Amino acid sequence: MALQGLEIRRSSASLRGGGTGLRKMATVAKYIDTSTCIGCKACEVACQEWNDLPNAQTSGPQHGTYQTLPTMTANFWNLIKFREVETQDHGLQWLMRKDQCMHCDEPGCLEACPAPGAIVQYVNGIVDVDPEKCIGCGLCETGCPFDVPRYAQATNKMAKCTLCVDRVSVGLEPACIKACPTGCLQFGDKTALLEVAKHRVEQLHGDGFAQASYYDPQGVGGTGVITVLKHGDHPEWYGLPKDPTVPTTVSVWKRVLHPIGFVAMAAAIFGAIGHFMAFGPKKPKDSSRETGGEV
Amino acid sequence: MSELRIPGSTRAAGPTAIQVARGREDVVIGDEIVRHRLASRVIHWVVAVFFFGALFTGMPIWSPVFGWMAYFFGGLSVCRWLHAWLGVAFAAAAAVMAVLWLKEMVFDKSDRKFNVVDYLRFSDREDPDVGKYNAGQKFFFWLVMVTGVVILLTGIVLWWPTYFNQTLRSISILLHDICFIGFFAAIVGHIYLGTAAEPGTFHSMTRGTVTRAWAKLHHPRWYREVTGERR
Amino acid sequence: MASLAATFGRGAMTNGWTDIKNTDLVFVMGGNPAENHPCGFKWAIEAKKNRNAKIVVVDPRFTRTAAVADIFAQLRAGTDIAFLSGIMRYAIEKKRFHEDYVKLHTNAPYVIGEKFQFTEGLFSGFDQTKAEYDKNAWQYQADPKTNAYMVDETLQNPRCVFQLLKQHVSRYTPEMVEQICGTPKDQFIKIAEAVTSTGNPERVGTILYALGWTQHSTGVQIIRAAAMLQLLLGNVGRPGGGVNALRGHSNIQGATDMGGTFEILPGYLKTPTGATQTLAEYLEKGPPTTLNKQSWASMNYWQNYPKFMVSLLKAYYGRTATKENDYNYALMPKVDGNYSWMYLFDDMYRGSSTRAGGKEPGPEGLISFGMNPVGTGPNSPKMVAALSKLKWLVMVENFENESATFWKAPKEYGGAAPKDIQTTVYQLPAANFAEKDGTFTNSSRWMQWKWKAIDPPGQAKSDQEVLARIFLAVRDLYRKDGGALPEAVLAIDWGYTNPYAPDLGEVLKEINGKALDDIKDPKDPTKIIKKKGEQVDGFAQLQDDGTTMCGNWLHSGVYSSAGNLAARRNNADPLGLGMFHEWAFSWPANRRVMYNRASADKDGKPWDPTRPGIVWNGEKWVGDVPDIKPDSPPGQFGAFIMLPEGVGRLYSPVLNDGPFPEHYEAIEAPVDNVLHAKVTSNPVSKKFSTDKDKYGGRDQFPIVCTTYRLTEHFHYWTKHHINGRLNEVQPEFFFEIPEELAKEKGIANGSKVKVTSARGSIVGPAVVTKRILSMNLGGKKVWQIGFPIHWGYAGDPKHAGPLANLLTPSAMDPNTWTPEFKTFLVQVEKATGENV
Repeated sequence: MALQGLEIRRSSASLRGGGTGLRKMATVAKYIDTSTCIGCKACEVACQEWNDLPNAQTSGPQHGTYQTLPTMTANFWNLIKFREVETQDHGLQWLMRKDQCMHCDEPGCLEACPAPGAIVQYVNGIVDVDPEKCIGCGLCETGCPFDVPRYAQATNKMAKCTLCVDRVSVGLEPACIKACPTGCLQFGDKTALLEVAKHRVEQLHGDGFAQASYYDPQGVGGTGVITVLKHGDHPEWYGLPKDPTVPTTVSVWKRVLHPIGFVAMAAAIFGAIGHFMAFGPKKPKDSSRETGGEV
Repeated sequence: MSELRIPGSTRAAGPTAIQVARGREDVVIGDEIVRHRLASRVIHWVVAVFFFGALFTGMPIWSPVFGWMAYFFGGLSVCRWLHAWLGVAFAAAAAVMAVLWLKEMVFDKSDRKFNVVDYLRFSDREDPDVGKYNAGQKFFFWLVMVTGVVILLTGIVLWWPTYFNQTLRSISILLHDICFIGFFAAIVGHIYLGTAAEPGTFHSMTRGTVTRAWAKLHHPRWYREVTGERR
Repeated sequence: MASLAATFGRGAMTNGWTDIKNTDLVFVMGGNPAENHPCGFKWAIEAKKNRNAKIVVVDPRFTRTAAVADIFAQLRAGTDIAFLSGIMRYAIEKKRFHEDYVKLHTNAPYVIGEKFQFTEGLFSGFDQTKAEYDKNAWQYQADPKTNAYMVDETLQNPRCVFQLLKQHVSRYTPEMVEQICGTPKDQFIKIAEAVTSTGNPERVGTILYALGWTQHSTGVQIIRAAAMLQLLLGNVGRPGGGVNALRGHSNIQGATDMGGTFEILPGYLKTPTGATQTLAEYLEKGPPTTLNKQSWASMNYWQNYPKFMVSLLKAYYGRTATKENDYNYALMPKVDGNYSWMYLFDDMYRGSSTRAGGKEPGPEGLISFGMNPVGTGPNSPKMVAALSKLKWLVMVENFENESATFWKAPKEYGGAAPKDIQTTVYQLPAANFAEKDGTFTNSSRWMQWKWKAIDPPGQAKSDQEVLARIFLAVRDLYRKDGGALPEAVLAIDWGYTNPYAPDLGEVLKEINGKALDDIKDPKDPTKIIKKKGEQVDGFAQLQDDGTTMCGNWLHSGVYSSAGNLAARRNNADPLGLGMFHEWAFSWPANRRVMYNRASADKDGKPWDPTRPGIVWNGEKWVGDVPDIKPDSPPGQFGAFIMLPEGVGRLYSPVLNDGPFPEHYEAIEAPVDNVLHAKVTSNPVSKKFSTDKDKYGGRDQFPIVCTTYRLTEHFHYWTKHHINGRLNEVQPEFFFEIPEELAKEKGIANGSKVKVTSARGSIVGPAVVTKRILSMNLGGKKVWQIGFPIHWGYAGDPKHAGPLANLLTPSAMDPNTWTPEFKTFLVQVEKATGENV
């Protein structure tokens, strides 16, 4: 839910910006070090607990991995993805990455959302859905390059990780971070966490992972989740897109088609008026009798 | 005005044009010709109502500029729901309309002579072979049909986005939008031409009849066909 | 734990969780801490991040721990001794061991008697008929002149421990390791190199292990091998080092400390047997005897045994225990025979007791506290059948588990029809951990007080209340009706404020011990160090004349006159080594790293000044709480004060299956022992012989199978949470099947397979994985599979599943009688309509 008192940086379907104030706050971020994640799922359960989400339906056909669900759902916002990958240099790798909303700096969901204020970005960078304003159209799913927002049939609303904005706004870390036993999850000022990430990446270079890097894709202006990857050259091994951007269609739609649309609509109306003035009504030459006078 | 004629007055002999217009078309009754029988008119207005419903519930979703429209329907969430159903209703009605009108909307040889510029200039060089519908009207009909199909299909994708992949959803957003813009422009033109620009036309769609003069002016071949007059 | 006691003197994690952050190398084997100890594993990650420590994992499966490891190698389940011996050989051959440490702190220079031999897979002293060793054949060589240990500081004497060890492990070449363990030679060498990189003063490595080592017919010797390796590398007693046993329950260390098994009393004092009818006899046999060694004498701390035992008797019997009546020693039960729970259930099933040669009837009733024998015992059909023979069964439990409902176990467990079972089952609802206060003693030996969070639901009662009410009712019966030896019950001191539900703070005080009379300072008898009635400050103040009482000498100090130290929560760490001396209480004596004298050289200087354990400052030892007399100068006492030798044992003549570890195959093994085919498996390991004890052969069951736990679940407990979140994140039972094997057998990921052992069959879905590979054992291709425990027929019906132990064998280690859950043989088939 949109939180009272948190300043808004950007708001969906706003005619002019949608920012609410002047307060400046550091951009916050989650730091995920996949190289020290043990896939214990404490973050999954903490997320469920804190957000009072109903139990996911995980029973059913065994999908043959340790992964809780094939993908995130409207009631499951934090999912560790388990992948077994055979690599040339490092043999078998069992990659585990906590997947959740990436809290993009330029959020595609917010861009695509047609409902004013249904998706907001607070000044601290958290991207949040306001269910009161959400109309359940699902366009945010199309706008998201990470396949994050989920439509909840039951409520006709979209749902996703809120980065525990309710906790963060009162000075607590998100529930997933709190629950992490190994410290592979951290939370704080993004600038500071980038330093942590750089340090860890250097360490991984020293450990023989020459391609290690951290994932903070600039195509969406950077994300509120910094993910350290041992195999930075293969984000797809972790289920991350290589160079994510807001889908071109969404930008074309909002930035090109919309203006064209307005122009076309205006042109049609003014065209008709102009035409009438220039050519007048078309009447029979021997207009001895008025026809269609009722118009 | 024909519809104001009181039964049993000067031409009490037969049924009035309005009465005839309930069931038959292309019949001359005195000074008037039945152009659209009741069924045609009803389907037109049904299509129109659903069209405007879908339009006005879609526009606030399209842009917050039209956000105010949403209030007439109970808010944006209602629009999101109503828009989809109105869209389906529009498509269904349009399908019925297509069946009813299809035969008359087939292009024929004379349509080739149709000159849109001449037509829009309201010049007197009217083609004497324009039948019941001119090529512009037929084109409009087919445009509505094709766009209608596209807007329906893309609308379904947008209605249940979770069942479709990202590419399909993206394409649908664009196409739905293009169709909408096209529809908007077309409907403005349609209304203009059907009302202010060509007096007498609107009447044909309300009461079903036109005057001989109107018919002669806009659809001379049709006029000849229904009256048996020669050129 | 038996092996750590036999090597170092105490059976517990040597260091502690928080100490792992000081290490340079985390060697994980026989454990999967990322899975089973995720919170403790944090410290391994800390070491990795802050010290650039390397994590090395060797396991039959590529585990969650392996996922964050720097080096991983797969080995065949149950061949750990060969692997570890191979590393020891590598360390000795390549001189990659800590020589000064070995000479100073281990029994490497000690000369062994001529009777010790090792030939064709058997140590000397083997008695074929009893299948037991005579340990007298393994004793040290005494110096004929002084009767002290004979030592050779140069390590050149061919009969010195070092030379014997060198010879013993010489067979475990990398090629041999590959042939036995299935680990490719180059991978083994890479790991041997990494592990032995800590065999010097500059670096230090830790070993983390858990039940993956314990639960084998050679379990104790596997851990022995690890302990020896750490002694060779000089890693014991040092911050960041040690052999760290990761316990699987929050309080299993505490349970063992308090005498949780039949052969020990609280504080690892021995249970009296029929052979020791008087206290004097008992005390004579209790403490270990020692040969005197002048130059490097041992504190041999067990010489204080009488103080601990008498104080314990005073705690048990109170005022009725007097010097004149031997402190009621006569009333203590004398236990002959084996009452480990495996034997109890065997007795139960057979209807006769191993006691007195099997002439007495088996148990007729069982009170089970916080335990689920049908779930946790091997060969579940035998467990079900055994319980069916009881007249009554009392289950004191949070939930109605498989044992409480054994009488309606599904048909595959082979039990009798419910109408034919006459056992009366009583279920007493028990409070769970959050519904009562008390202490948890964790793997680090930290006794941590916890506070009750909520009241128990319904009629559930705390364990102490259940016990107290049973005890008081039984005592009333004895008072009223008399009976055989009523004194044994009537003499028990029950002086709790609330006798029906003793306050656990009061119990902790009793465990700590107090002065029953004024205690005088031994150095200055005019001074009184403890007044009558005061809590003692530690076991050093205990007396053998009945003037102190103490429920567990090892825990003494936890509730001193300074209060309940277990309740401390100060996380100050002035030494920066993660010792946290003011957080809870770490037995013994709040010491954080045991054997810390070994962290320093002969002059008392730390091997690594950046990570000192304790340092001799000229007057006393400073740093951690010294594991030695604080003012004894370097050279006076050895670092391993609980052992009579005073040094760590590379050679340990006290275990039941040999002074050195030797590779033996599991009871069910896919190949013969390549070292000595005639003695393929542990010659003294234990098996049972009833019709329910079936063992499978490799022809019928060619695939090696192992069992394990999942981080999402807690034992057999989680599935009882109706709609529980943890059931949601790991909803059902599965088998992990190697990709290649699945292909061979036509098994699709997620499809049903049938796995059969000599005990029974389980059908379940397959998780087809790349994380288990086939092995080439000297030309023979061998497969491994595995599956998690945690499920059963009780609990949330949505999450019911098979009991893992339907398939496991009742074969045991000869020292601890721990079942061999971790290696057995199975056959794998695709489940079809016909075979399920």
